[in-house]
Amino acid sequence: MSAGTGSVVGGAVLAVDEAPNPWIDPSYVVDNWDSILRYLGEHVRLTVGAVVLGALIALPLALLARRSRFLAGPVLAVSTIVYTIPSLAMFAFIFPFTGLSATTVLIGLVAYSLVILVRNFLTGLRGVPDDVREAARGMGYGSAALFWKIDLPLAMPAFITGLRIATVSTVALVTVGVLVGHGGLGQLILGGFNANFYRAEIVTGTVLCIVLALLADVLLVGAERLVTPWTRAGRA
Amino acid sequence: MRESSRQTRVAAQWHHGTQKAGRKDMRARIRFIAPAVLALALTTACGESGSSGTGGDEDSTAASGEACAPIAGDQLVVLDDDKALQNADNIIPAVNAQTASAQPALLPALNAVSAALTTDELVDLNAAVDVERQSAEDVAAGWVEENKVTDGLEQGSGPITVGAADFSEGIILANVYADVLNAAGFTATVAEPASRNLYLEALKAGQQIQVVPEYLATVTEFLEGNDETAVASGDVDETVAALEPLATAAGLVFGEPSEAADQNAFAVTQAFADELGVTTLSELADACGDGSLVLGGPPECPTRPFCQLGLEDTYGLKFASFTELDAGGPLTKAAIQQGEVSIGLVFSSDGALAKG
Amino acid sequence: MNAFEEAIVYLNDPFNWTRRDGILELLGEHLAISVVAVLAAFVIAFPIGVFLGASRRGGGSVVVVSNVSRAVPTLALLTLFAVSPIGFGNRATTIALTIFAIPPILANTYVGVRGVDADVREAARGVGMSRGQVIRRVDLPLAMPLIMTGLRTAAVQVVATASLAALVGGGGLGRMVRLGFGQQNYGLIIAGALLIALLAVLTELVLVLLTWAVTPGPKRFPWNPARRAAVAPGSEPTAAGMPL
Repeated sequence: MSAGTGSVVGGAVLAVDEAPNPWIDPSYVVDNWDSILRYLGEHVRLTVGAVVLGALIALPLALLARRSRFLAGPVLAVSTIVYTIPSLAMFAFIFPFTGLSATTVLIGLVAYSLVILVRNFLTGLRGVPDDVREAARGMGYGSAALFWKIDLPLAMPAFITGLRIATVSTVALVTVGVLVGHGGLGQLILGGFNANFYRAEIVTGTVLCIVLALLADVLLVGAERLVTPWTRAGRA
Repeated sequence: MRESSRQTRVAAQWHHGTQKAGRKDMRARIRFIAPAVLALALTTACGESGSSGTGGDEDSTAASGEACAPIAGDQLVVLDDDKALQNADNIIPAVNAQTASAQPALLPALNAVSAALTTDELVDLNAAVDVERQSAEDVAAGWVEENKVTDGLEQGSGPITVGAADFSEGIILANVYADVLNAAGFTATVAEPASRNLYLEALKAGQQIQVVPEYLATVTEFLEGNDETAVASGDVDETVAALEPLATAAGLVFGEPSEAADQNAFAVTQAFADELGVTTLSELADACGDGSLVLGGPPECPTRPFCQLGLEDTYGLKFASFTELDAGGPLTKAAIQQGEVSIGLVFSSDGALAKG
Repeated sequence: MNAFEEAIVYLNDPFNWTRRDGILELLGEHLAISVVAVLAAFVIAFPIGVFLGASRRGGGSVVVVSNVSRAVPTLALLTLFAVSPIGFGNRATTIALTIFAIPPILANTYVGVRGVDADVREAARGVGMSRGQVIRRVDLPLAMPLIMTGLRTAAVQVVATASLAALVGGGGLGRMVRLGFGQQNYGLIIAGALLIALLAVLTELVLVLLTWAVTPGPKRFPWNPARRAAVAPGSEPTAAGMPL
């Protein structure tokens, strides 16, 4: 072969919009079950990882902030500013350091869930009545016992509220990770867009995202009921 | 409802907190934000125009007329590349050199694909995915089976990752390669689609990606790296010869080029073509001397010799502006149709051509 | 030169600000979309919130709307619009953002108006004010802090999510980030991200000042220390606040 074949003759017409493009297409889901599950898995892993890591960092921070008035101010101020930074910008800032990886998305998600959780944890801890803590200390409770037996159970409703807000927000935020190629279900949403505006793919990604968020919320409400049975009595 | 009363209670707590905390937060915000804003303001826009290299020192690109402003329309038509700007962009397998020497069965398997693939088949594959919405994996597997590409292949073994460009044709080709390699005894998987900058770097390193389906002329120019000179041409053999030393220098090995090719092509709406009476790019250059053409294409187009640079150098086209869209995908076609851009980059193996 | 230094160089060049599709043009586009979306959402959500709050009805549905809207990713709505007849121009982006701005304004207005002390309202009725006057002269001023919180949350959210429109063919400052990724221009990515973050923070600041100005009651300047005992935290993320 000495000449490239396949050159386009001028005047070739591109018919752009002919095939049907239904919004809901069960055959899409059936055909692409593997990749859907893969993205769903990534989405769940990122969400759970971010909220758990956020909680692990937020709790000590909240305890510190409760103890020291001096620290509470900067912690809350910095968290407000971080909270205001849009997610696209946040992931873009982290990208030069960790590249096109799930780690980039995870760091950003941890930052946001941290911010939400610190506030709610602090509210919860501050909501524990001082006289109860005094009484417990008078009975000889050490710091650890004070935390596990008094603070944690009484602050649990506020903690779980924070976890619910953080989880639902995180599920939505993971989708912005498409910026660095790790958006979980967001890859279906943007991928469908790039694949010739494939509506069924986009709708699948969207619906799964919403279902995941609501499911997580319901699970956390259930967890709260399990962990704080005493709050059920006495509710109007 | 329990839910609503708790939400209201919590919200009321926040409300109470708002008034007291508002002032404290405001002070904190001012303390943190004001210096940052000041610092940023001092660094913005006080350098020399053009200091960032985006072109401020060139002649103004303002259009002196409106002759070639975008015209919306439903039908798209490709303008003829009469000066043969586009070159031999035949499909050719690119393999990491170390992997190729360690796995002698690799290249023969990929060359079997090159031998069997034609442009028409490529267009049909694209149509099946883009228009009929079949999955790239199924379409690739179907083609491999139909063309009996896997008969009598040398057997190899080991894991291979095939890289994919981030458009459907690239993904289809990657899957074809993976299927054939699997039939040849390897354990082949397809990587997450990425742009050429990314997957070529990974291919050179050889850890994340070892094989990639490439386009002969484009990859030759890319490896050469110099936008001023052109080493690729419309002649396949010449281009392959030019590619060899570049490949060795980059630690890559290329297989046999296929008959199937996919070049850049440029499309306008039928209404635009009729209005200006143009069917070729040269005619477009004559009709649009006032520089009011708006170009649409992938983000890297302004720096590519077969995209904006080539159009400007070979045809003398002048553009009022460039809008970054996608690589011949739905965004570009929609943008041309909607009159966002006058002319946009599409691909010569676009699935929609199957019907035309 | 690392990405952040490249970004400073990029921002330093006035050509990047003034050229076609330059920073000023994108910023104008971004602001126009945001302002229209917030105003439209306010016009829609505020009357409903006031009505529901004053008549103390519909609390459940307000909460449900809030929760569900927090669960829907903005990118999904923008993409769905982009592939529907609505398209992916600035108008489509504005519609999508309006939809997302409604829940915070609705929820906060409702909670604010509803939270007005029943005694105060009764006193007002007792003095002879009509229902409308009670709303205008009692409910609204007392609910103003929460109403403004809702407006502030909505505004920051809109400015933030407008940056996502560029991922699906829209305009605004997000285009800089997308172009940066496409051209492997790390400086451009960071420059775009800096501008987006700054715009969001400035929006928050402007609205905080506006809230302070509009809230009735004795005004203390922010640099005078407020000698209050315990400062209750959690004034920010409200019912539908999410960091998008």
